[in-house]
Amino acid sequence: MKLKIISILIIGAIFASCQKDRLSPIPQTQLSDAVAFDTPERALQQVNGIYSALKGGQFYAGRYLVYQDVRGEEFINLTNNGVTAFLTWNFTVTPTANEVQNFWAAAYATINRANVVIEGLTAAPIADNLRKNYIAEAKFVRALSYFSLLQIYARPFTEGNGNKPGVPLRITAITSSGSNNIARSTVAEVYAQIVKDLNEAETDLPLNYATAELNTTRAHRNTAVALKTRVYLSMGDYAKVITEGNKMVSASAPFQASTGVANKLNPSIATTFTSYTTAESVLSMPFTGLDLPGTQNSLNSYYNPGPNGNGDFALNTSGNGIVASTAWGATDARRAFNIASGGQTYLRKWPNNAGSLPDWAPVIRYSEVMLNVAEAEARQAAAVSTRGLALLNAVRQRSDATVTLAPATKDDLINAILLERRIELLGEGFRSSDVTRTGGSFNAKGSVAAYGPSSNLYIWPISNNELVTNKEMVQNDGY
Amino acid sequence: MRKLVFLVLGVVLLAGQLLAQTRQVSGRVTDASGNPVPNASVTIKGTNNGTTTNADGTFALTVPNNSRLVLSAVGLAVQDVAVSGRTDFNFTLSQEDRSMQEVVVVGYGTQRRKDITGTIASVKGNAIKNLPVQSFDQALSGQMAGVSVTMPNGVLNNPPVIRVRGVNSISLSSFPLVVVDGVPTFTGNAGGTASNNILGDINPNDIESVEVLKDAAAAAIYGSRASAGVLLITTRKGRQGRARVNYDGWVGYTKAFNLVDVLNATEYTTIKNEGLTNAGTPPVAAPGTPARGFFTQNDANGKLIDTRWYDVVYRTGISQNHSVNVSGANDKTSYFFSAGYTNQEGMLVGNDFRRMTGRLNVDHKVSSWLQLGGNMNYTNSINRAPNTGSLPGQAFSIAGLGRLPIVLAPNVAPFNADGTYNINTVANTIGQGNNRTALSFYNPQYIIDNNKFSSENDRIIGNVFAQLNFTKWLNFRTVYGIDNLNVTNKEFRAALHGDGVQFAGAAQNTQQTYRRWDWQNLLTFDKAFGKNNVNLLVGNEQQYSNSQGWGADRRGQTDPFYDEYQGGFGTIVPAGNFYGENYLVSFLGRLNYNYAGKYYVSVNARRDGYSAFAPENKYGNFYGGSLGWAVSEEGFFRNSGLGKNINSLRLKASYGLVGNNQGINDYAFYSFFNSGLYGTQANLFYSQAGNRNLRWESSKKLDLGFDMSLLSSRINIEFAYYKNDINNLILNNPQSPSAGIPGNAILTNIGSMKNTGIELTLNTTPIRNTDFTWTSNFNITTLKNTVTALAEGNADIFVQTSGLEQPSIIRVGESIGSFYAVRTKGVNPTNGQRIFVQRIKDASGNITERDVQYNHAAAQRWTNMDGTPATRGADQASDGQIIGPALPKWTGGWDNTVRFKGFDFNLLLFFSGGNYVYNGTKAGLRDQRNWNNSKDVLTRWQKPGDVTEIPRIVFGDNLSNGSALVQSQNVEKGNFIKGRNIAIGYTIPKTMMDRIGINSIRFYAAVQNAFTITNYTGFDPETSTNGNSNGSPSVDRNSVPQARTILFGVNVGF
Repeated sequence: MKLKIISILIIGAIFASCQKDRLSPIPQTQLSDAVAFDTPERALQQVNGIYSALKGGQFYAGRYLVYQDVRGEEFINLTNNGVTAFLTWNFTVTPTANEVQNFWAAAYATINRANVVIEGLTAAPIADNLRKNYIAEAKFVRALSYFSLLQIYARPFTEGNGNKPGVPLRITAITSSGSNNIARSTVAEVYAQIVKDLNEAETDLPLNYATAELNTTRAHRNTAVALKTRVYLSMGDYAKVITEGNKMVSASAPFQASTGVANKLNPSIATTFTSYTTAESVLSMPFTGLDLPGTQNSLNSYYNPGPNGNGDFALNTSGNGIVASTAWGATDARRAFNIASGGQTYLRKWPNNAGSLPDWAPVIRYSEVMLNVAEAEARQAAAVSTRGLALLNAVRQRSDATVTLAPATKDDLINAILLERRIELLGEGFRSSDVTRTGGSFNAKGSVAAYGPSSNLYIWPISNNELVTNKEMVQNDGY
Repeated sequence: MRKLVFLVLGVVLLAGQLLAQTRQVSGRVTDASGNPVPNASVTIKGTNNGTTTNADGTFALTVPNNSRLVLSAVGLAVQDVAVSGRTDFNFTLSQEDRSMQEVVVVGYGTQRRKDITGTIASVKGNAIKNLPVQSFDQALSGQMAGVSVTMPNGVLNNPPVIRVRGVNSISLSSFPLVVVDGVPTFTGNAGGTASNNILGDINPNDIESVEVLKDAAAAAIYGSRASAGVLLITTRKGRQGRARVNYDGWVGYTKAFNLVDVLNATEYTTIKNEGLTNAGTPPVAAPGTPARGFFTQNDANGKLIDTRWYDVVYRTGISQNHSVNVSGANDKTSYFFSAGYTNQEGMLVGNDFRRMTGRLNVDHKVSSWLQLGGNMNYTNSINRAPNTGSLPGQAFSIAGLGRLPIVLAPNVAPFNADGTYNINTVANTIGQGNNRTALSFYNPQYIIDNNKFSSENDRIIGNVFAQLNFTKWLNFRTVYGIDNLNVTNKEFRAALHGDGVQFAGAAQNTQQTYRRWDWQNLLTFDKAFGKNNVNLLVGNEQQYSNSQGWGADRRGQTDPFYDEYQGGFGTIVPAGNFYGENYLVSFLGRLNYNYAGKYYVSVNARRDGYSAFAPENKYGNFYGGSLGWAVSEEGFFRNSGLGKNINSLRLKASYGLVGNNQGINDYAFYSFFNSGLYGTQANLFYSQAGNRNLRWESSKKLDLGFDMSLLSSRINIEFAYYKNDINNLILNNPQSPSAGIPGNAILTNIGSMKNTGIELTLNTTPIRNTDFTWTSNFNITTLKNTVTALAEGNADIFVQTSGLEQPSIIRVGESIGSFYAVRTKGVNPTNGQRIFVQRIKDASGNITERDVQYNHAAAQRWTNMDGTPATRGADQASDGQIIGPALPKWTGGWDNTVRFKGFDFNLLLFFSGGNYVYNGTKAGLRDQRNWNNSKDVLTRWQKPGDVTEIPRIVFGDNLSNGSALVQSQNVEKGNFIKGRNIAIGYTIPKTMMDRIGINSIRFYAAVQNAFTITNYTGFDPETSTNGNSNGSPSVDRNSVPQARTILFGVNVGF
């Protein structure tokens, strides 16, 4: 008996001594790279994953737009919080500042995601036209990401025709070590890649998708065209802005896109910020209660006072702030977004609580495309451009029918359009680019002095994390 | 083959059953001074048969004629003597070598200390019970050489930082493996906002001993998990004799300790208004325009509002602890049953820890060849806490209670005159009272009263074993253990004010389950061949662990009444989801050999297969070996002059290779895509760049030492030199962010590090009389940590504190986590501006230093010392330099116990130093935004010629004092000596107790963290805002201080 027990135990122990299948468990909640593009559904989900990166908290969910705006004179910082763009507003960013490092990383994470998906899609089991569509979307996002990087880390194209240092150009997927070192391409080289990507995207993108939601959240042909007007405008290539703009802006009023998604202005601007999928929203970043921008990332959080936001920034109601400008009429519907509260005036284009019910974040609106074309027309014309003026008035009169702008000279028209951009696009991430591409100065505001093109602070420094890992990286002058 | 095994086993078993003639013997056991020794064990050599002595030291026993008797008693030398016809025995046991005779728990077994050639530190359970701690590991501080245990701060059940001989990893865990009664247990913090050190599930009163395996010879038997050392926890067992009942109880009072004084209301307004004036924006008295300035206000009774926010946040917590156990044993069965209850209030309002435990340990000899037993422990514990802001990652939490009382304006009150909370719901800040300039922090009163956080454990730890004794010298043991832990974390943040506003009120419940089984099969051979003693162990161990978490966050409270997850909320978001499993299979062996107790050789080896590595890299081999020489056993030594004074002297050396996989992700080698949502659409995204070449971290450990016992064992010395050469450290090999790799890193076996040092332990008994003894145990350990290789190009690693600040650097040639800051040169007496040292690199890479000064009030803020504009400002990336090491270079303890008749007095000192501490809290305390300041700001620069530490106050200045720039002036020396525990007790004389049927009663009073001697200017140099982080030790950023507890207790034995 004893011996039996002993032998059973010992034999059992030897048999049980290794359970091979347990040594190679299959992860249950993630897909390994071996199978991540294996079905048509996964291929589509991968494309959505690229947009999710673009929509990240550091990027188009909010922070990138906030940095663009608060460098300008429209906002006053109330919280002095280094985490929520105070240093950017204050022109005291350093290479180690959290925004300098985090935004850099977020943009490149998006770019690599696009590159990984482009590579992964080549073998995915999907129809060729769908493959082209998806790859075009990836290229669109890559182009937008590079464009965004250039706006903040590089001198404007218009300064020396892009001969200044740009950012590293990465257009192949990176999934392992060994790719740390890469030099900065010039601004012109990066722009060339952006234009190339957008041209290819335009060719392969569909005219539209099945639903209004998809037409707003994924790039279609007009989305690529719209972004091209923005890109060429910042390159100062006004002829091309007009060429591209003509593809989706009619020659005369009523202005709208004649092919693809019928992008046009809403009758009321208020609708644009309450109904997220109208034809005016060429591209927006969608949010739901289950897909949130994250703490201290959303536009809601920066610009709303409590209880729905942190109230980091209030509108600059004095001096140089656009809110103080008499050129912005009191009856303008867009003034309805400016809400007084607790002795401050806040921008409430995104009034909801971002922790539970966030508003969508705009990336491209039709009014921007109109103003891009208007400015290009104005700059290309010898005198006051008729179409340029018509476009400007269309934007203005949508919100204030009592006003008809009638600038006397070409320069007056250009200035009126630039002013209109400050009103129409307030809080949507354009101010810094509009200052730099025109060679202007950042006006003084609150306790912050003015900074002109000669200052090194005109653009941000390069991320310190990049400098210590990328031996070929060169810091911006003056940092 | 099978037949042969049976045959051999059969013969072996029969041999054990041969009987012999017997006789009755009796006797008495006394110690060297003639006192009777009760409870001494008298056994027949080679068997488990025997008895114990009575209170008067006498015993009686039936023994075989030709046997030998073995006498042993705690603290006394073992003796054995042949029966050979005698019936009457009187033994005098000497105290010599008592420490050498102790049985010490080692990996997968036990050994006598004198036979151990590895380096093992050990602490008896009595030294860790009766202390105001939540988990036993907190009580180990200062007790053992080479084992550094520091408390991060005074938050209840915050895991201590434990380092065995230095930091042994960079990215993985440096926390030792913890093994409870032979079964590896889960460790770490399973809590969220409420801390939950899961080692707190073990009742410290249940612990018999804690052994720490430090060198390769001792630890290599744990192979791939041994790099950071191994803690072996052995729970109590019944002792031979009648049932004993023990009750231990205490009640304690806990308060914050070493708070830094902050400005009062009038000082605050003076300083802040001076700052406004200096900034060129003088205060404008209310109601002026623009609204600006700081003004005091009176309450409804006309009394100045001067809030000491410390009083809102801190309290005197009252704690109680009760533990009762019943234990006993006869020659067949031993049992230990215990129940424990502890309810501890921390120094922070709302921080309460409660634990209930029950334990049953049973061991039964079914027959001469079969022994069965098991241990079972059930625990329910719950820790409730506010947001302390003092756990890793929380340092800059704007709702953290470490930070709020030091930054909040003292001239506003927690409540309005009508009893409502003083809050500004528009700005979501505290109401600003008469201040015209906005305030920016939350009202902690509202947060304490409304937000709540808890972490609750339900846990069963247990094992069953069967041991088959084939012969006296061969046995087989199988042990199956489980560790099942369920954790429920709850968080509620109210909608009206504080960090719940962003969610319009949110309740989050998450559930975590941790399941582990561990099965060990061990065959042990132990036999003496003449003077050759051989002990051989071979075995197999398998361990499977599964961890899962799930939960959700409900947001948008529909009514302020709801503060539970199940109440009314608008939306729900998943939270706390994770899933992982891992499996370790091992084959292990150990051979201990000694010749005549003089020459020792020990070899052990282990082969581990682990699931987290790629198929081609799953297995690793580990080994350790040691040599020992008991010099004092040599005739030449004993006969020499030295032999008269030196009772024992042993030399030993060990070397081995062990590994580390602790803390590695379960699927570390995979490249992954994760799922999520893009709006309403499903997505997949690149989330982990894997590495199939990933392997264990490996650590080559060398240990050279001796132990010596002098003057009748009144002085015991242990000395060791150690060297850990750690290679293949798994690092987050930094990828340049522009590569866009998820997390900007790929795990790679790429780093190297070295720890060297010496350990010295002096256990002495300066006075030993019948009525008066003084024992003094001193230990000190030195540590020199050097990082020797890092990722590609040895790029520095900057380690962040809570995502905002990076005072710590990992750099080749330096100690890990050294402080890296811009050097400052004090305040310029002519203008009150702080002077910073810039490092200017010329084209050929030479660095010259240049002083610049900073004036927050000027348009041109950075100027050269001559007032001309500086080409750039000082920043950490360009101008940072290493200020000094963050890891203590020496740590230790000094434990003194004095007994006089019934009185006992204990003083345990804990000391540490040779390092620096980053006082980031001080940077915040001198920040010139609307934040309150420490009192020292009153000594600010005011006029040319003032020589002071504090620059001219400029409102809004967050740079001069370090909030926005890590500066050397905030890196301070971290040397300290702390009175960890002082206790005084009185044991009522036994003669009085016998009459009422009580065996013993001891009353005591004690104080934990009685005092700290240090030059450190912050709360406490014993601090770790980053918890157990390897790369950023000794950072003090907005954490609460340590707690001091005074307690009164009683120990009763029946």
